[in-house]
Amino acid sequence: MAEDRSVSRRSFLTVATVAIGGVITAIMGIPAVAYIIGPALKKQSEQEWIPVGRASKVELGVPALFKVKIQRKAGWILNEQELSFYVLTEDGRDFIAMSNICTHLGCRARWVANEGIFFCPCHNGVFAKDGTVLGGPPPRPLDRVEVKVEDDQLFILGG
Amino acid sequence: MLTRIENWIEQRIGWRAAWEAIFLRKIPKVNWLYTLGSASLFVAINQIVTGILLTLYYVPTPDHAYDTVQFITYELPAGWFIRGLHHYGASAMVILAVLHMLRVIAYGAYKYPREVTWTSGVLLLLVVMGFGFTGYLLPWDQRAFWATIVGTRIAGTPPVVGDFILRVIRGGPELSEVTLARFYGVHVWVLPAVLLLLVGVHMVLVIRNGISAPPERGE
Repeated sequence: MAEDRSVSRRSFLTVATVAIGGVITAIMGIPAVAYIIGPALKKQSEQEWIPVGRASKVELGVPALFKVKIQRKAGWILNEQELSFYVLTEDGRDFIAMSNICTHLGCRARWVANEGIFFCPCHNGVFAKDGTVLGGPPPRPLDRVEVKVEDDQLFILGG
Repeated sequence: MLTRIENWIEQRIGWRAAWEAIFLRKIPKVNWLYTLGSASLFVAINQIVTGILLTLYYVPTPDHAYDTVQFITYELPAGWFIRGLHHYGASAMVILAVLHMLRVIAYGAYKYPREVTWTSGVLLLLVVMGFGFTGYLLPWDQRAFWATIVGTRIAGTPPVVGDFILRVIRGGPELSEVTLARFYGVHVWVLPAVLLLLVGVHMVLVIRNGISAPPERGE
């Protein structure tokens, strides 16, 4: 008789139904969460040395603008993106490269040759030729990009 | 504590009567074949959940449809699993719905007073077929494309109106981006709306009229 048992048929079936339902929900729910947040967790693609041009093109003491196209893929579309940055050398041996993106709010800073400064037109940010802040709202110097020279070929590290 | 929460909710929305009507209703002594309807409902819920998840990434245009399906299948975490559930669930849906119908036929369960339940069930089977036909095109691969060429040509075979029907289904004389977009719209908006309505009617009637006992020898 049902009364003799410690667990009735009805409560056993209720517990079993809830348990199986919970397992099925987890089997579907956990992959669903991974599937939804997947693209948010994707790491930036690996950086590599990108050839950008000849080092001898850079005049001593004058920042030279380089542009290079790279390909990026966020989802299923391969997009071409342009990276631009200034390369500076004082002695023809040691090079520095810096992004031309203003550290304030992301406008493009440009080299003003007759004043010897980088100027960002959005909020009058001013940088020295090595990227240090001279005036205006930028909170930090222009971001450096890793650069190397091999056989007169300039490379930057990006991706 | 739990009882107090239950009572608080019960006093405000009266869910206990609905709960009892749905889950604690009296049924005759039946067998495992009577689970085919519930199984169809379970797979339908699976299709709705996985289908909604697929729309997060799928784009129904000829230049993106195939790429997004490849992206879902090979690049997203568990994308193969979500798509697999939807893909195989679709086949399971057709098989279960047909088996459910065969059981109803074999037991004569379509008779008075359940004719409307039966009719809504037949319409549901047609909706399931519509889901299968429109969903088959969406991956936009060779199989999808040529299967839909054939399927729409079959729809175009009736005399006089055949060509018109074919043009309406394809959205023009050729299978094109218009076809893909309308198959997607039908698959994710039109058919789900009809499905939910019919499932609602079907289940209200199952609960209202009760289910039929298996017929016995000599009845």
